Amino acid sequence: MTHSEFHEELRQGVKEPLLPVEKKLIGWSFGVGVVLLLILTLINHVFPVA
Amino acid sequence: MSNVSHAADWIGERRADNVALAPRISEDWLSLIIGLLIFALALAGLANTNLLGWVVTTSVWTNLGQALKTASNSYGALGGVGALVATYVALLVVLGAAALALKSDLKKFALAFTAVFWIAYASWIVGNFANFAAVTPAELQKFGINWSLKLTNEGGYIFALLAGLVVANVFPRFAENIKDAVKPELYIKVAIVILGGVFAVTAAGKLNLASSLLIRGVAAIVEAYLIYWSVVYLIARTWFGFSREWAAPLASGISICGVSAAIATGGAIRARPMVPVLVSSLVVIFAVVEVLILPFIAQTFLSHEPLVAGAWMGLAVKTDGAAVAAGGITESLILAQNAAEGVKYQAGWILGTTATIKVFIDIFIGVWAFVLGYIWTNHINATGETAKAHEIWERFPKFIIGFIVTFAAGLYLALATPADIAAKVPAAIGEANTFRVIFFILTFFSIGVLSNFKRLWAEGIGKLAAVYFVSLFGFVIWVGLLISWLFFAGIKPPLAS
Repeated sequence: MTHSEFHEELRQGVKEPLLPVEKKLIGWSFGVGVVLLLILTLINHVFPVA
Repeated sequence: MSNVSHAADWIGERRADNVALAPRISEDWLSLIIGLLIFALALAGLANTNLLGWVVTTSVWTNLGQALKTASNSYGALGGVGALVATYVALLVVLGAAALALKSDLKKFALAFTAVFWIAYASWIVGNFANFAAVTPAELQKFGINWSLKLTNEGGYIFALLAGLVVANVFPRFAENIKDAVKPELYIKVAIVILGGVFAVTAAGKLNLASSLLIRGVAAIVEAYLIYWSVVYLIARTWFGFSREWAAPLASGISICGVSAAIATGGAIRARPMVPVLVSSLVVIFAVVEVLILPFIAQTFLSHEPLVAGAWMGLAVKTDGAAVAAGGITESLILAQNAAEGVKYQAGWILGTTATIKVFIDIFIGVWAFVLGYIWTNHINATGETAKAHEIWERFPKFIIGFIVTFAAGLYLALATPADIAAKVPAAIGEANTFRVIFFILTFFSIGVLSNFKRLWAEGIGKLAAVYFVSLFGFVIWVGLLISWLFFAGIKPPLAS
């Protein structure tokens, strides 16, 4: 593929709706991330730096 | 040559699945070997054999003749210029051997490295001019000057970066001619391997604080891989309408660790090779912008929270080189600001925090690429070619092993050896640290040379840049700041004795 074809592909975009597996990936990543951060924040609060 | 192919050179001519084409040894392994070699030679100092004292160092100057000297007085007869030439020759030999191992043309590399070294180091010397670097009133008085930009001596990195940008954007043909020695990934990885030992010496004095920093590095992993990635991927897919092939490497590039993550993700989801390469080019450009801006914002607003600033650089600035470099500048600026207010913190903690955060994030690139590869090959593009567990090791950044080895060795030597040996450790590793500074300088210059703004724009990646801009400045930087504040606020580096 040439650079100009890439250019055109990037400009126009591609119609690809989010698949259920992508929604799961996004949702689980974000959800688990937030929960883990809350847990780590709690640990950070309970065990402060000496 | 386009900026895209520059990025391909940096990456080291890889297939989309991230497997190097020709060389038997990767840049990653070479960086580990070179870093450990320098570290081992420095440790000869523990046996009263000074093997690296001839390396050049630069002091803040008003008289150019006094700017350069050897790292150790025992090699003082060499003089500043002699030390500079000796350093150039030594690096030419070592990196020339590395170029041979990478199957590069040795003559072309030698010529290119000569240009890279001398321009980069000249920029560093300029950056150490007192009117640029002096910070405290005492320094202004010492040098007999009444004004200074107060960039500190490490402002020299910015001069090296600007020199690289000038080469890339004003002299693109020259940039093309020196591309064989424009290897920021190699240079920064060598520097990070050495940094492990340097950080160990710093940490040995305050082991509790150091272990607390390590534990808090876990938060960085969660943030980069789980929160940043999912949000950036969602933005790229829904707001900007990118396909999965583009959105996944882009999300990894913006969220995790720039070039390495974009390449690993591109390979894992079986993207066309050009996709991660274009994303990588973009990562470099934005990293340059961040390095030029964020350290000064940190100095202005976070000078009383030094470790928040260090962690923020690790979380917000993408690519190892730019992030650790930004940590170095931030440390220098913040230490200088505090020194001007009468508070003298120990050096090394801010940079150490940045490097620790970055290393923690890097460790999981292979695992994350495997997870994405598994999902893509089983649920999105089920072609029968599934992701394999051994790819985790293949994509593991090997230089991190070097960081861990030098860190462990440094800690052992500083804490578990007889007092007479332990007392020599800081000086010995200090000489390795002088090489770390030189590899930083080479990294800054190389990043600049890879940043041809005009050509990148001509490639038509304005829309990719829009995603990057929205994600980075609308989300990544500020969430990084929040997390850094949550986990590092109130933690101060030890005071200098």
